[in-house]
Amino acid sequence: MSTTRIEISDLVIRYGEATAVNGVSFTVGQGEHLTLLGPSGCGKTTTLRAIAGLEQPASGSITIDGRAMFDGAKRINVPTEDRGVSMVFQSYAVWPHMTVFDNVAYGLRVRKQDKGEIKANVERALDLVQMRHLADRGASKLSGGQQQRVALARAVAFSPTVVLFDEPLSNLDAKLRAEMRVELRELQRRLGITAVYVTHDQEEALAISDRVVVMNVGVIEQIGTPEEIYNRPKSHFVADFVGSANIIKGKLTGPGTFATEGGVPLRVTAPHAPSGAETEVALRTAYIGVAANPGDNQVAGTVHQRLFHGDFVQYIVDTPLGRLIVRRPPTNLLAEGAQVTLSFAPEHCVLLQV
Amino acid sequence: MALIPTGALRPRFNWQPVVTGVVVLLVAFLVILPLVFLVEESLNTGDPMAFPPEQYGIANYVAIFDEDINVLFNTLIIAVMATIMAILIGFTLAWILTRTNVPGREKLERLMELPYYMTPLVGALAWAVIAGPKSGFVNQLWKASGGTGNLVDIYGYFGIAWVMALFEGTVAFVMIAASMKSMDPALEESARVMGASKFRTMLTVTLPLVMPGVLGATLFVFAEMLGSFAAALVIGIPARIYVITTAIWDSTLSYPPDYGRASAMGLSLFVVMFGMLTFYRWRINKGSFATISGKAFRPRPMDMGKLSWLLLGLCCLYIFVSVVLPIAALLFTSLQRFATVILSQSEFTLANYRTALSLGPVRIALVNSLSLGFGVASVGVVLMAVLVWIIYRSRMVGRGAVEYLVMFPQAVPRLVFGLALLWAWLNIPIPIYGTLWLLAIAYLTVMLPLGVRTIAGVVLQIDKSLEECARVCGAGWLYQMRTVTMPLLKPGLLAAWLLIFMACVRELGTSVLLMGPNAKVIAPSIVNAFASSGTELTAAMALIQTATVVVALIILFRLSRGATRELQ
Repeated sequence: MSTTRIEISDLVIRYGEATAVNGVSFTVGQGEHLTLLGPSGCGKTTTLRAIAGLEQPASGSITIDGRAMFDGAKRINVPTEDRGVSMVFQSYAVWPHMTVFDNVAYGLRVRKQDKGEIKANVERALDLVQMRHLADRGASKLSGGQQQRVALARAVAFSPTVVLFDEPLSNLDAKLRAEMRVELRELQRRLGITAVYVTHDQEEALAISDRVVVMNVGVIEQIGTPEEIYNRPKSHFVADFVGSANIIKGKLTGPGTFATEGGVPLRVTAPHAPSGAETEVALRTAYIGVAANPGDNQVAGTVHQRLFHGDFVQYIVDTPLGRLIVRRPPTNLLAEGAQVTLSFAPEHCVLLQV
Repeated sequence: MALIPTGALRPRFNWQPVVTGVVVLLVAFLVILPLVFLVEESLNTGDPMAFPPEQYGIANYVAIFDEDINVLFNTLIIAVMATIMAILIGFTLAWILTRTNVPGREKLERLMELPYYMTPLVGALAWAVIAGPKSGFVNQLWKASGGTGNLVDIYGYFGIAWVMALFEGTVAFVMIAASMKSMDPALEESARVMGASKFRTMLTVTLPLVMPGVLGATLFVFAEMLGSFAAALVIGIPARIYVITTAIWDSTLSYPPDYGRASAMGLSLFVVMFGMLTFYRWRINKGSFATISGKAFRPRPMDMGKLSWLLLGLCCLYIFVSVVLPIAALLFTSLQRFATVILSQSEFTLANYRTALSLGPVRIALVNSLSLGFGVASVGVVLMAVLVWIIYRSRMVGRGAVEYLVMFPQAVPRLVFGLALLWAWLNIPIPIYGTLWLLAIAYLTVMLPLGVRTIAGVVLQIDKSLEECARVCGAGWLYQMRTVTMPLLKPGLLAAWLLIFMACVRELGTSVLLMGPNAKVIAPSIVNAFASSGTELTAAMALIQTATVVVALIILFRLSRGATRELQ
C-alpha cells in the first residue's frame, strides 16, 4: 500500500451514556478502497461520520493527509466544511429544490470556481455517471437509481481526494445494486479516489474492497483483504457474519490437531499463535467436498435436508461433528437420506481466537 | 488519473455561535422577563402601583379565596360544562370521520378546521345576536309566532359554555381523530379474525386503545377552557357572571387598578394550566400504548348503510351551528339599520360598513392590526426559523431548554401574559407602553409556539443529510442555511407567516390590556363597540375582521395544496 491518507487512532464516540465506537484505529492508503463492515449498531456509520466531522468523538484522533482533523488531546476539531472530504449519503441527499446541474455544481460554487470551469467540471462528472442528458431535470423528478448517480457525480465533481460512502447502495433493488457495485469500483479506480465505504452487506464488502474492517459493538474484530477475511476469520463473529461457516466446537490437542466435542480428531490451521484455550474451529460451507479425498479431514454423514437455491444447493448433513451445512454447485444433486463422505482440507479448518 | 482541484476552500468566519447566542438571549428576554415582573407584583401587598413593591406578602393570593370564591366556582362550572360538550362534539365527529364511510369524508375533514378560524370572539358576538333575550333572532321569531317571554337566553352559564364548546370542539376533534388514525387497523382486524363481532371488537380493542387519546384531549381542552376569555367577556359580563379571566381584566379597570390582585389571579391560573399541560405532555410522551405511533394509518371505514346520511347530517349540523349560522346572523345584522328577522320591518343598508370604515378609531385599529400582522409575521418567521434550526438541528448544549422556553407562552393564558407585559413595561424605563411597539413585542412572544411548531413540522420532514451534504461539500453554516435549509423550508415559512398574520389580526387576550388610546387594534375595538354602540356596527366590524382572516386562509390553502403537489 502506498502513502497513508487517513489515519484513525483510538477513536471513541459516545452518545450520552452509550459508547458507539470504542477505541477504533486503522489507516487508509492513497487510492485504497477500505470498507467498514458490520451489523447495524456496530459503530461503522458513526466512525464514517466522525471522519466527515458530522459526529464529534470523545477522544482519539483523525488525521487526513497529515493534517489533524480531530484530536481529543489537543482539542482540535476542524468543522466539516473545512475538511475537504466528500461524501455519498445513504439517502442520497439530492436536494429536491435544485436541478441535477445545480446539485452537482454545489461544491464547485462553494469553491468559487468561475462559470466556465463549473460547467466543464459538472459535465465531466455527469458523464462519469452517464447522466449528462438529465442535467436540467429537477432533482425531485428522478428515480432512485438516477438520484444515486447524481449523488455520486456531486461527490466527485469538486475533485476531492477522499470520498466517504455511507451505505450508498442499500436503497437500490438487488439488480441495480449489483450493477452499481461494478460501476462504483470502476469509478473509484479510474479517479484514483481514496474511499472509505460503509455497508452491512458482506457480499458487497468482499466484492468491491481492497481491505475490509469488520466491526462489532463499537470495536474492530478484524482488518484484512477480502480473501483474508473470508479464508482466515479471526473470531467467531467474523466467521459467522462474513460468508457462511460451520462452527465446530472442541479443544486443541496439539499443534494443528483438534478434538471435537464428540471426540473426532481434526487437523486444523491456526492463523495466529494458539494460546491453547481455543474451543472453536470455523469451516466455510463452500469448502466441504462430498467425495473422499485422502489427505483431508474426512467424516461420514447422512443428508438430512436439501434446499435448492439455484446458484447453489444447501445440504444439512448429520455427522459425528454435529450438523454441518454444505453448499455445493447445483450439479450431481444428493437425495435426502443419502450417505455421503464429507472431506475438507486442514487449511480450511480455521482455529478461532477466543 | 485524478481530477485536478481548481478551486480551494478559504477559511471563513463561523456565524453559527453568534446567531445562536443572539437569538437565545432575545427569546429569554421576551419570555422570562415579563413573568418575573408578574411574580413580583403578585407578592406586592403595599401600594399596588409602587415599583419595586414596598411590602411583600401573600395577601393577594389569600384574597382570591376570601373575596373571589364565587369567581373560582363560576370558572370551574363553566369549564366543566364546556369541556364535556367539546369532547362530545370532538369524539362524535372524530369517530364519524375516521371510522365510518360517511359520504365526502375528506372534504368534511377539511371543513372541520373552519370553526377554529372563526374565533370565539366572533362566535360569541354572533350567538349574542342569535340567542340574546328580547332582540335575539330566535326570541323575535318566538314572539312573532305568538310566544311570550324568552325562548332562549344566551346570557347564562350554559350560554357561555355553549359558545366556548362550539369553538373548542374542533380542537378536541383534531386531537381525538389523530389518536384514532394512528391505530394500526390490523389490531382490529386480528380481533375480527379471532371471531369477535364488530361490537365486541369495538369494546375490547378499539375503545381501550383510543381512551388515552380521549383523556389527553379532555385534559388539554379543560386547561384551555380555564384560560379562555372571549366568550366570558362578550356573554359573561352582561350576565354579571365573572370567571377568572374576566375578573383579572376587571381588576385592571378599577381605579386605582389592582395589579397585585390581578397578578395573583393570573399566576394561579397559569400554575393550574401549566400543571395540567405538563401532565398531558408527560402522559403523551410516556407512550404507554405503543400502538399510538407517529405513523398514520387509514383505518378501513365501517359500512354504516343508510345511517351514514344521518352521520353526514351531524357533521353538517356542527358546521352550520358553528360557522354558517353565526356568519349569516352577523351578515344579516350588519346589513340592517335595526337588526330584526321580521323581514317586513327590516331596512337594508350598507351604512354600517361605511361607518366602520370611515370612523377614525375603527379604521386606525384595522390598519394597526394589519400592519402588526405583517410586521410580526415577517420578523417572527425569520426568528422562528433560526430557533427551529437550533432546537431540532444543531448540537448545541441546552437546546432542550430553548425548546421549553419557546413553547412556554403556550401554557400562559394570553390575558395573563398581557398583564405581565403591561406591568413589566410600565416599569421598564423605555417608553413603549401604550404604543404599537409593545403590542408587537407581545404578539411576537405569544406567537412563538405557533410559529415554531408550524416550521418544526416541516424541518422534521427534511432529511438531515440534505444539510450535512452541503457541509461536506464545503459550505459554511450561513451558506448552507441560505442555499439548502431556507429554500427547503419555504412552504413551512409561508404557512407560518400566514398563520401568524391571522393570529395577530384576531388577537384579543393580550391586546385588550396593552392597547393604548393611540395604539388601538381591531379585536378589542370590536368588544368595545359591542359594549358601547349598536350590534349592527359591531357585526360589520367583526365581519371585516373575519374577511381579512378568510383571505389569508384561502391563500394558505392554495399554497399548501401547491406545496403538496410539488413534493409528489
